[in-house]
Amino acid sequence: MAQVPPLPIGPAGVPGAVPDQLSVETTVQQERDLAQPGSAKADEFGAAPELGFWRLAVIRFLHHRVATGALIILAIIVLSAIVVPIITGDLYRIQDYRHPFKPPFQSFQHLFGTDDLGRDELARLLRGARVSIMVGVLAVVGYLLIGGTLGALAGYYGGWLDNALMRFTDIIISAPFLLVVIAITAATGGVRLTTVIIVIAATGWYEIGRLMRAQFLVLREQEFVQAARALGASNARIIVRHILPNALAPIIVSATLGVSGIILLEAALGFLGYSIPPPEPSWGNMLQNFEQYLLDDQAYLVVFPATALVITALCINLIGDGIRDALDPRQR
Amino acid sequence: MTFYLIRRVAIGILLLFLMSAMFFTLTRVTPGRPISVGENPKIHQSVINLRLHRLGLTDEQGNSYPIPQQYVLYLGALLHGDLGDSYVNHEKVTTLLLQRLPNSILLLGAALLVALAIGIPLGIFAATRQYSKLDITTSLVSYVGVSIPSFVLGIYLLLIFGVILRQSPLHWGFPLFGMHTGGVDDPIDLLYHMVLPVTSLAILQIAIFSRFMRASMLEVLHQDYIRTARAKGLSLEKVNYKHALRNAILPIITLVAIAIPQIVNGAIITEGIFSWPGTGQLAFQAVVDRDYPVILGVVMLVAAGTVLFNLIADVTYAVADPRIRY
Repeated sequence: MAQVPPLPIGPAGVPGAVPDQLSVETTVQQERDLAQPGSAKADEFGAAPELGFWRLAVIRFLHHRVATGALIILAIIVLSAIVVPIITGDLYRIQDYRHPFKPPFQSFQHLFGTDDLGRDELARLLRGARVSIMVGVLAVVGYLLIGGTLGALAGYYGGWLDNALMRFTDIIISAPFLLVVIAITAATGGVRLTTVIIVIAATGWYEIGRLMRAQFLVLREQEFVQAARALGASNARIIVRHILPNALAPIIVSATLGVSGIILLEAALGFLGYSIPPPEPSWGNMLQNFEQYLLDDQAYLVVFPATALVITALCINLIGDGIRDALDPRQR
Repeated sequence: MTFYLIRRVAIGILLLFLMSAMFFTLTRVTPGRPISVGENPKIHQSVINLRLHRLGLTDEQGNSYPIPQQYVLYLGALLHGDLGDSYVNHEKVTTLLLQRLPNSILLLGAALLVALAIGIPLGIFAATRQYSKLDITTSLVSYVGVSIPSFVLGIYLLLIFGVILRQSPLHWGFPLFGMHTGGVDDPIDLLYHMVLPVTSLAILQIAIFSRFMRASMLEVLHQDYIRTARAKGLSLEKVNYKHALRNAILPIITLVAIAIPQIVNGAIITEGIFSWPGTGQLAFQAVVDRDYPVILGVVMLVAAGTVLFNLIADVTYAVADPRIRY
């Protein structure tokens, strides 16, 4: 663990601290300013933070050497996954029957060698990275939309919605997730990437939903929410402007870790043949013929996609932990 | 306590009903009929009708029942312990499950035990020696463990023991595939067959258990009564392993219950990779064949197991920790 030097943290740097200073005469405008820690108007009330909460978090994150390193590696992977396929075009599916199973690191033409159909392994890896990252990001956006909304409403209003959310979670938790996703994907007919993303998002959001609910349950009882209500703020306003910004930190961490979970899940689905169909490569379906490759001493065809998968997941997990430390210094 | 138990069991049963309804509907609205799997295309319509009728999907004339009616029929059979027939080999799903279940319990149970036996001590030692080399190594390893899905780990293990170490004496003769020839009569051989699949399933749980145990232990170690015990002059070992450990280890009980569906998830692919004849492999094959009664059966079995283990975990927790009252 990298030691982080202590940083100047103003009282406004801690979420939930500023609204303590609300007085009876506070107007809606002032209250709005107070809800955003570090805004200029907050200074009038005594607290004079030098840096905002999010700026401080970024600085704290960058002091976390391991997490920053992971971020750089991930950025390289993501950038090359976006840029390189644009340059190389169809290279990932151009077959060359004269040169199948070319070993890696022998020529610059095929740096990572070629696969059973003579396709360039590096181009396929990068194309596969695209699939993994796209599924991971889009499904997490789905998590945030579904889980965030339902969790917030359940935590804020309680009642039947809360009960329904908890029971749904119980059902999903006690089922083998992979089998559920496969069953639904199969049930929707053909296996397409959009289906996979929708199914993962529709079944996996409960973790963020529960987290959001827990945050809202705690925060809705806090004094700054009562103060906002006393000032005549509507429920929608309280949820979006007052509670949500304070509830975000653990959600961001969970969403980050969720991306790596989804990437691994998508790879498992691809491995079983339930993700994007060939000839489109994904890290999962590149592993499908692993037995054949291992038996025939073409281990590099197994090692590359498997290792790419592990490195990506590891980097995302490290970044997630870095964000956790950066957003909540008390946890360290 | 009795009231609590009754309530929990009732909720558990309700949950299973909800789940069966959800998955039943899901599998019945699916395109594709059970007869279409690997069937002679010249088969006569009356034969199809007869089969569909036997599967409880249609009446004698071949008109399919509405889904709610099918579900009621399914539920009625379920209450008699009948999960229906497989679409593919027309065997009873319960028979298939009972054939495979012991193998899976053996594999998953061994993985869970290994994970507990390694993960918990690792977490304890990491917490009592915070920021030591052991602690840093443990957290590094657990990071990697969490980031490797069990099927990738299985493939890596096969690569290491089957390819890289094949020529060297270091591969220790671990069989790469299958279960055993001698069955329970040959426990040594069985054990050899279990090494690789158990390892690939256990690593993730070791990572989770050790991380959780470390956090839990650290939390307890920072509490006042620990400081009091130390101030009284008790030895560090006694405070750590007697006062702190007892309280820190309790939450693990809940974690074990949560771990079960996770291990099952891993087992679906791991059993396939290592050709282990368990329910995971059965489920995987059923998914490939779109054999819905079998899929439904496995899902229900796992769900029932999870509900049961959650209940056991909560009751054990209450027994182990007198502060908890229901």
